[in-house]
Amino acid sequence: MGEVIVVTSGKGGVGKTTTTANLGTGLAQLGYKVALVDADIGLRNLDVVLGLENRIVYDITDVTGGHCRLRQALIKDKRYEGLFLLPAAQTKDKTAVSPDQMKVLCGDLSQEFDYVIIDCPAGIEQGFRNAIAGADKAIVVTTPEVSAVRDADRIIGLLEAAELREPKLIINRVRQKMVAAGDMMNIDDIIDILAIDLLGVVPEDEMVIITTNRGEAVIQDDRSRSGMAFRNIVRRITGEQVPLLNLEEGGLFSKIRRFIGLK
Amino acid sequence: MDDRRRNTGRQMLDEIEGDENTILIRRTLRSGQKFYYNGNVVVMGDVNPGAEVVATGNVIVMGQMRGMVHAGAEGDESATVMAFRLQPTQLRIANHITRPPDGEVADSSAPEIARIKNGVVTIENYPART
Repeated sequence: MGEVIVVTSGKGGVGKTTTTANLGTGLAQLGYKVALVDADIGLRNLDVVLGLENRIVYDITDVTGGHCRLRQALIKDKRYEGLFLLPAAQTKDKTAVSPDQMKVLCGDLSQEFDYVIIDCPAGIEQGFRNAIAGADKAIVVTTPEVSAVRDADRIIGLLEAAELREPKLIINRVRQKMVAAGDMMNIDDIIDILAIDLLGVVPEDEMVIITTNRGEAVIQDDRSRSGMAFRNIVRRITGEQVPLLNLEEGGLFSKIRRFIGLK
Repeated sequence: MDDRRRNTGRQMLDEIEGDENTILIRRTLRSGQKFYYNGNVVVMGDVNPGAEVVATGNVIVMGQMRGMVHAGAEGDESATVMAFRLQPTQLRIANHITRPPDGEVADSSAPEIARIKNGVVTIENYPART
């Protein structure tokens, strides 16, 4: 039985889809069998981010409606053997799927895959309730903005009410320079309010936009800092203990400088 | 001697309110969660921004109070709000509504109590330092 993880945030635009794509790709890189489920019916874009848009024949509503078999709707990734996508429908809305149908679907997927990762839509209405219905675990994505943190707090409350205990936190799009200057919420402030376990911190990175537009995941880029952060998060999901990335600019060079005492 | 003891006893009885309901919340209240209670409320956790606690009696938060709190919601002007860290977005007692001054972050580093004194909501350290 695989794990079913929902990636959620409440607020839109904090990076749920990007996170889902990267975690899925990262887990597949490590050799796990992974299914990504786009639960954002009506506004699908996980397929676009993964560059699989032109391969869609059936979608999630065809599966839950019994119009096709689950196997038929799953799209195999271009690059990784073990990575599959169950796309959302674009022409329907959130009411096309019910929480009970999602539970059945997630149960079926977890029989075959090591990890099932669900990309939750923004908001707290039916789309959210569908997305969390079949999940065993939750990852809450937020950014260092008061509005995103407020929504994350609300979501954590709703997850707890839905018996999804101990959600994990990813803080995305952190600009270390702004944090250092006191212009951006720092990580400690966020954790102080949300009071849940931190899974990882991802720095703001132009490479995310570049790779996303190419239909690739930044986690495939060995040099980017955000890719490194996502790789660490993936290892933490698999149960490894990985220390947090040092976000300070300069990295190795400034460390050496400090070491030889020029600073 | 006997007299004094009896007096202390009577005074204590005045300070112990036995006929009111009190409820214990053993968790943190998060954004969007509202709690209403006819009586006193004790929160063993934080009250986060966007959460609301409304009580007809007193409110005690054994943690950080960052949300909206209303004590004495049915007009009891003797109601108080107490918290380990009192930094509410808005604080109401009976029909008095207060908020921290604009541009100022309510900074608190010690337990505090809010109550109505001479018709004004006053926030003081708790216990009061002399």
